[in-house]
Amino acid sequence: MKTEKILKSAVAAAAAITLTGCGSSSTPQTETIDAQTEFGCSTINIYNWGEYMGEDVIPNFEKTYNAKVNYDMFDSNENMYTRLLGGSSYDLLVPSDYMIERLLKEDLLQPLDKEALTNLGNLDPEAVEMQKVYDPDLAYSVPYFRGSVGFVYNKNNISEAELEEKGWNILLDEKLDNKVFMYDSQRDAFMVAFKALGYSMNTDNEEEIEAAYEWLRKVHQTVHPAYVTDEVIDAMAYPNPNEAKDIAVVYSGDAAYILSINEDMGYFEPKQGTNIWSDGMVIPKNAGCPALANEFINFVLEYDSSYDNSITVGYTSTNLQVKEDIANGEYAGINAYLPRSGYDKDEVFRYNDVLVQKLSERWTKVKLD
Amino acid sequence: MEQKTKLHEKLVLLLVMLFFYLPIIYVVIFSFNSSKSLSSFTGFSLQWYEKMFANRTIMESIWYTVSCAVIATVVSTIVGTVTAIGLSKSNKALREAINQVNNLPMLNPDIVTAIGFMLFFTSLRIKTGFTTMVLAHIAFCIPYVILSVMPKLRTLDPNLAEAALDLGCTPLQALVKVIIPQIMPGIISGALIAFSMSFDDFVISLFTTGPGVNNISIYVYANVKRVNPTINALSAIIVYVITIVLILVNVVPLIRERKMKKNEN
Amino acid sequence: MKSFSKMVYPYVVWAAVMIVVPMLMLVLYAFTVKGNSVLTFQFTFDNFIRFFSDPVFPGVLWRSLKLAVITTLICIAVGYPTAYAMAKLKPNSQAVAVLLITLPMWINMLVRTYAWRGILSFGSFSGEFKVYVGMVYNFLPFMILQIYTSLSKIDPSLITAAHDLGADNTQTFRRVILPLSLPGVVSGITLVFLPAVSSFFIPKLLGGGQYVLIGNLIEDYFISTGDWNFGSAISLIMAVIILISMYVTRRLDRYTAQEDE
Repeated sequence: MKTEKILKSAVAAAAAITLTGCGSSSTPQTETIDAQTEFGCSTINIYNWGEYMGEDVIPNFEKTYNAKVNYDMFDSNENMYTRLLGGSSYDLLVPSDYMIERLLKEDLLQPLDKEALTNLGNLDPEAVEMQKVYDPDLAYSVPYFRGSVGFVYNKNNISEAELEEKGWNILLDEKLDNKVFMYDSQRDAFMVAFKALGYSMNTDNEEEIEAAYEWLRKVHQTVHPAYVTDEVIDAMAYPNPNEAKDIAVVYSGDAAYILSINEDMGYFEPKQGTNIWSDGMVIPKNAGCPALANEFINFVLEYDSSYDNSITVGYTSTNLQVKEDIANGEYAGINAYLPRSGYDKDEVFRYNDVLVQKLSERWTKVKLD
Repeated sequence: MEQKTKLHEKLVLLLVMLFFYLPIIYVVIFSFNSSKSLSSFTGFSLQWYEKMFANRTIMESIWYTVSCAVIATVVSTIVGTVTAIGLSKSNKALREAINQVNNLPMLNPDIVTAIGFMLFFTSLRIKTGFTTMVLAHIAFCIPYVILSVMPKLRTLDPNLAEAALDLGCTPLQALVKVIIPQIMPGIISGALIAFSMSFDDFVISLFTTGPGVNNISIYVYANVKRVNPTINALSAIIVYVITIVLILVNVVPLIRERKMKKNEN
Repeated sequence: MKSFSKMVYPYVVWAAVMIVVPMLMLVLYAFTVKGNSVLTFQFTFDNFIRFFSDPVFPGVLWRSLKLAVITTLICIAVGYPTAYAMAKLKPNSQAVAVLLITLPMWINMLVRTYAWRGILSFGSFSGEFKVYVGMVYNFLPFMILQIYTSLSKIDPSLITAAHDLGADNTQTFRRVILPLSLPGVVSGITLVFLPAVSSFFIPKLLGGGQYVLIGNLIEDYFISTGDWNFGSAISLIMAVIILISMYVTRRLDRYTAQEDE
């Protein structure tokens, strides 16, 4: 029976890899600690984005601390938030900036134990600067990954000079009809529009919102974008000749991954400014084992874990040394790995419930035009 | 309704099966791809299977998915069948009411049902986890079973059970020996649909489960950002298991038959 | 046989607790003022007015209904002949066929749909065609199983009798087999049409990202926007419209049920 054979060899291979995995993965420098005796609990529940962690981080942590990690994954900040409303209690979350701001506002987070976080010094000052926008003293959050939003474009069909000249407004160019992927989220789509028009993406101004809406409608009528979310990553990395697009609005971390696979693609951050973002580790108020969660944060900040995370996922590390090593090593020449920072037209999303309401209906209308 | 299958009918079956299995063959083939691409096959590799077996979250999610689906199917099939039989004998008003209520989980978008359950559990201060997920699955599976069993009951001769009782059967015997065998195809298809619904559910599971309890769908939805052939491997495994079961179910009786014949000789 | 009717009661209690109570909570949301994920008790019709005062929303509902109706019709057209052919197989083969039809449903919907996306990318098909392929693929097993169930175990003597009475094949089908299988068709319609109205993931993945459907809208309001009140209102409107259409179908069902008595 062929299938059975394949199955058997698969099982054997899997066993082999787990075994060699035990031998080769160098356990970090720290000695083994027994979480139960040290912190009174030995299980933590972590809720992180899908495909957002290196494969060895958790096994190594579990070995070092003689602990168990339940690792759950979400696919949007909002899904995560809704589950928190349902009473799910986690010890560690990794939401994005604006969601951390919201959780802080709603008093759902507890302060971090700065004494346990001995590795805070490893952090990239650029990442810390961004975090300070919503958590000034880093009292509640530690940056995990960061990045920007920009264009991934086919260098054979679009020149960088043209992007320099037009920026976001290249989406109004007729020659790109049916050649555009737009990110299907009101937040990201309106960010592009606000920036194209020179406004703040955190604006509350009715006229500016209306103008951004008109801009998006014009884009819709001119280039008929395909509105996609994560599908864009594969579509640009492995383009299908029948459906290939020339340009897409993409997160820098995903762009780095695309560029590392497809050499025809480039990454560009328009001069009009863009969204710079960071995801951070936070501990909810109702955490069952916060002491161990603090240890986990500290563990992630170590070089080995940070390196494993960043190399697996392709997002920019918040560990300065790791960032520099990867930028000069594995991701050398891929500009998306080093997103712009310190540019005054770039902004971080703020939590704004009213704005979200205003944008959602308009976003539906744009797509239905 | 056994009659000779005609040629064009065989052709219909063949084409439909082809339609059903085209994507599955595709998934299986690309689970052996050496690269991550889903459009060009670059070489044979078992790395995605290795990754899958080494991934504890995936392995746990398979266990949770299967155990949840089995419990939900067994409970909802029993409750659904019993209820459907009861409904077929009860008055019209109750039947109508239950039918309408049953439609709700089917016509509501999953997210509405999911939030409803979530609110329900949290307002009762029930901690969400495996149990709440199973309860929710049972709740949305029962209507499918009832819906599958009802048509069979409707075409059932009402005098059949009466006759059984007249011939000295107890009501329970009449139920088990007369009614149930007659509606068996409905029960089976109800159970199959319930199992499939539970197995493939994402949204309702997501909002009724607790930390550390994931099913396959929850894992898949969070991990398809990028081409992830591990998920193809995971899907392919399901195909292998079912194929093996199918072969066993069909081949084993054949072999046994042959052996019996040999022994007779 | 009245004693059997008591068997309904446990489920009545269960349904009241597990289906009706959660639904009532959402109805409450639909009729109250927005209170960011917290239930307020200020009664309002605003959510409904908002839905109907903007042509965008009814438009989306209309598109979703259309998609669901066409999907259901294709499923009947393909599913009936398939189920009919299945019911004629040998008993053992029938069991295998049932399993073979069910198996694709055990592969994650997302995985199946991604696979279709891969397959269909080899030709140049319209987005609409792809969406219907994906939808029919997803829902066809339900239709086939329901129709097959009602066709199987039709007493063969009924068919023989019809032939003996001089009916030809077409007449036998129209007068004997079809009426007996209609309850299955109606169940199939319920199982396909109801979930199809609010499904949006398949159209989203296969339609080239230009499909806004009612399920999409509801999910957005519940999750992205966090406006449970409006989300509840939309789904309530959808539910009422579907229930009305189901009521009509059920009348049809009753009509056919009477016919074969």
